[in-house]
Amino acid sequence: MRFIHRALPVILFGLLVCGFERAAWAEIGQIKNVAGQVSVWRNNVQQTAKVGDLLEQADVLTTGANSSVGVTFIDNSRLSAGPNSRIELKQFRFDPTTNNGEFLADMQRGTLAIVSGQIAKRSPDAMKVKTPTTILGVRGTTFAVKVEE
Amino acid sequence: MCVMSQRGLYSCVIVAAAALLLASCASVKTFVVLLPEETGVPSAVTVGEGNRQAILEVPLSAAAVDARGNLEKSTVTTEEINRIFADALAAQPPKSISFTLYFDTNSTEVSAASQSALAELLAEVAKRAAAEVQVTGHTDRVGTDTENDRLSLERAEAVRTMLIQRGIKASFIRAVGRGEREPLVSTPDEQPEPRNRRVEVIVR
Repeated sequence: MRFIHRALPVILFGLLVCGFERAAWAEIGQIKNVAGQVSVWRNNVQQTAKVGDLLEQADVLTTGANSSVGVTFIDNSRLSAGPNSRIELKQFRFDPTTNNGEFLADMQRGTLAIVSGQIAKRSPDAMKVKTPTTILGVRGTTFAVKVEE
Repeated sequence: MCVMSQRGLYSCVIVAAAALLLASCASVKTFVVLLPEETGVPSAVTVGEGNRQAILEVPLSAAAVDARGNLEKSTVTTEEINRIFADALAAQPPKSISFTLYFDTNSTEVSAASQSALAELLAEVAKRAAAEVQVTGHTDRVGTDTENDRLSLERAEAVRTMLIQRGIKASFIRAVGRGEREPLVSTPDEQPEPRNRRVEVIVR
């Protein structure tokens, strides 16, 4: 019983911290534009994407033929993809107070346009785009990538 | 060498198909181009890692990297970019915009002078698909830290409530208070400063 008394505040604090951590981690961005067939894959489950959908770390965006998608992230980065694209939001971490963070997108195919945000501005090379043949480091930039097969 | 029996022809076809498959694997290529910057701020993209790294620093400069890591630099035209990236570029969401609303001393009412900025803010939110709004309240240095933390949050909440009353979905509006920690203009403690009594609103 005494153990519980001592442990309870610690457990409650732990739960509270976990709760905040979750809230801080869950939402990394939002879908702002959808044309044609666009999907979000989360835990291998495919969902048809629509404007306003919230994105999480590890989500995968895919577009079909004649399709495109536009996304904003909580660090003000913007990413948009053209037809037949597949992009995994592999790692995303952002602290809005310090602007420290990390952004790794894994682009397997298609076309991509990116305007980097606070993460790249705060720390060069904290934002990266991986493709099948190389890795791109972003230093506060507007750029476009195509993976040709 | 493919002039032979039917059996030989089949194996030829298989070999050809395999070669094609190999060729297609080896022909995977990444093409990256630095676009002109909206703000004119210098920028760059690094391509690759280690001693094979290249850097793109000039708008319209480009690089292609094949499956073996061979890198070839080039320059592209705006027309080429528009052709290759037309759909991706057209899907790009608009840039976020920030607004500043000012308040009278100890008040949570947006000042008369900021009413036009408030109208612009509402118009911007209405214009955007799935607009997200980040509201951050601030105070000047009159009063204690605790009072100012409370007042800054109340100012942010007041703006949030106003936006909700105008029909904006509440889940997309975040309100936080930063007290007197982030003044726009530095002042001694207890000095009234109208420019610091503000709410900053980012519409994304």
